[in-house]
Amino acid sequence: MNPEFQRNLWLEASPRRIAWAGVSLALVYGIALLAAPDYPSGRTEALGWTGGAVFVLCAWIWAARAAGSSVLGEIADRTWDFQRLSALDPWAMTWGKLLGASSLAWMCGLTGLALATVAGAGRDPRMAFWGVLSMLAAAVLLQAVSMGAALIGVRKARAEGRAARPSGVIGGLVIGGFLLVSAAGSAGFQRGAGIAGLSTLLHTGGEVEWWGVVAPGQPFRALALTAFAGWALAGAWRLMRLELQMRNAPLTWPAFLVFLALFIGGFAYPAGGMMAALLAGALAVALCAYAAGFAEPADRVRLRQFAGAAAARDFSRAAPLAPSALAPVVLAAVLVIAALVSPRHAGAEISLQDVWQALALIAFVVRDLGVIALFRFGPRPQRGDFGAVVALALFYAAGAILGHSVGGDTGGAVFAPLPGAPLVSLVSGVVQAAIAWWLAAKRIRAPEVSAAA
Amino acid sequence: MIEVTDVIYDYPAMRALHGIGFTVDAGAVLALVGPNGAGKTTLMRCMAALDSHTEGHIRIAGLDTQDDPRAVHAAIGYLPDFYGLYEELSVRRALTYAARSRGVSEADAPAAVQLAAERVQLADRLDARAGELSRGLRQRLAIGQTIVHRPRVLLLDEPAAGLDPEARRSLSDLILKLTSEGMTIVVSSHILAELEDYSTRMLMIRDGRVAGGGVVAAGAGARDGERVAVTFADPPPDLAERLTALGVAVETIDGDDAVIAAPAGEDDSALLGRLMAAGLRVRSFQPARRTLEDAYLAEVKR
Repeated sequence: MNPEFQRNLWLEASPRRIAWAGVSLALVYGIALLAAPDYPSGRTEALGWTGGAVFVLCAWIWAARAAGSSVLGEIADRTWDFQRLSALDPWAMTWGKLLGASSLAWMCGLTGLALATVAGAGRDPRMAFWGVLSMLAAAVLLQAVSMGAALIGVRKARAEGRAARPSGVIGGLVIGGFLLVSAAGSAGFQRGAGIAGLSTLLHTGGEVEWWGVVAPGQPFRALALTAFAGWALAGAWRLMRLELQMRNAPLTWPAFLVFLALFIGGFAYPAGGMMAALLAGALAVALCAYAAGFAEPADRVRLRQFAGAAAARDFSRAAPLAPSALAPVVLAAVLVIAALVSPRHAGAEISLQDVWQALALIAFVVRDLGVIALFRFGPRPQRGDFGAVVALALFYAAGAILGHSVGGDTGGAVFAPLPGAPLVSLVSGVVQAAIAWWLAAKRIRAPEVSAAA
Repeated sequence: MIEVTDVIYDYPAMRALHGIGFTVDAGAVLALVGPNGAGKTTLMRCMAALDSHTEGHIRIAGLDTQDDPRAVHAAIGYLPDFYGLYEELSVRRALTYAARSRGVSEADAPAAVQLAAERVQLADRLDARAGELSRGLRQRLAIGQTIVHRPRVLLLDEPAAGLDPEARRSLSDLILKLTSEGMTIVVSSHILAELEDYSTRMLMIRDGRVAGGGVVAAGAGARDGERVAVTFADPPPDLAERLTALGVAVETIDGDDAVIAAPAGEDDSALLGRLMAAGLRVRSFQPARRTLEDAYLAEVKR
């Protein structure tokens, strides 16, 4: 048996804890039965709803928390170095923690899922299958994301010379998720990106049109969730490899970005064709560049090593050291360029304005990454994330107000890549990106203080 | 067994190690000494392949810590200065997990656990919960977890910190026993007395640099050149002259006690024989040992 899984079982699923969990579940289901409506299928439905709620509480929330704690708890208990020295391979460590730390939560949750499935199968067996798959995939996704966030938190904290804390990781996850959902989930963004069809994915009964194929919503959602759960597991595994001092070839992350671009682009394709699909994919990938900019440890030594290896054209050494924001920026640029040269409807010829606008978008993404680097490599890296968010908000919000009040659309285009004056946005973006990266590079190259730790 | 070459380690805002280099032979016990903040822990973590040095190379048992960190992990045992235990696990389960997670097969694990428990004198407490152990016993369990897979190299960072004299003696005995079985051990401490009993070599680190002349013989069993401490019974008044006439260099004479240096190439028994043949009554004859403190102070003066 996987020793990590076994150790977690010893700690989490001891006979006493299982017995207490059994008693608690019996009480919950007993109360549900007592409170069930008095008609023939009432009890089955009540148990089904209660089971569903138990599964959500246990397998989604409790298990996700346990998965994150399986890493952060080791940090707090000072046992993480002991684990990093183990001979376990990263995948064994990953699944041993994911499944072992949440073993009791899964036991409890699966009782609920079984009841919910029985209740659902009585109504529509096929839909019940897709529903179960969705529930399971979402549970795995949440757990893998939680563990991944914990591993990111550990690496960031180490680079910043502090200990990772659960509150910091949860806070980062919540704020990051909020910002991502606010940006990608807003109706304005979806309309602008031509991916309004994405919202149908959230509705149970609707149909989804993806790359021109119309599919029922629930199976599509279940398969999409399963795919993302797989990617989240791969991400947690790759992060675990880094924690165990192994090097990652730059394959999985770019592969995920391509998958994401294809997934998002598929929703834009029916309405806007290939150009819209490529642009929507580019926007999604660009968002990943921001996420990577914040998630990667502010490790100036690693960046210097990357720069040194790249300058020496030692690309096999440089590739594993490459900043993770690099791949999405390059891919986003490729997708934007591909969008510009992609086949389009008759009469919709590409204009020079379109080219300026596309390049301005890329320039501002690069500028923003420079601002993030500037703050995160500052003298107080612990406050770098917050400082970068505030700075970007000021650049876009206050800059837009100032720009518009002084120079209308042209003034506004100085501070954001606006279609009204794309050439102004491009020039401004390039200048700002150069300044931001010049300042960031100075901090990254900052000379060491000649003192020992 | 351990080769460290020009190792530089940078923290985000400062350089912690400035081109450290040394080698340690198989079977040696190296005392890594230096004041707090000298860079000992950073060096240990780089040697354990837990942190990546910025420049230079570290090879442990022939394995490069950056090219093959996982193989280094399997070859070593490392006990950090601040360690934790799985408080809710029994000693047996803690050792079993340590053994299994370090590559000991399921079939071999019980024997490995028993052996490790016996070595750290916890065989009678296998069913006790780790959280119930005293500080000294916790230290023993931590060391037991570190050696349960029989590593070739053992790195101990301040292992005796906070231990009572009895526990320190147990630790010394254990380290001597492991050394006799061929294990190469590096022990860091800023308290020299802790290391005196078992160290055979010393390396001083100061401000992230090797201080003095690198790895030197010191501590347990290390002879201080050709110097011999001799106590005479009723020494004659012209003792110094008679010793000089025998070709022996006299370093000090204090009453009955003298420190002399044997002529180059002459072994101790021959020298003792010549002293007695010359009519000098020798009450004790002890080759001088070089303590860690002697070595440390000598290195400081370099």
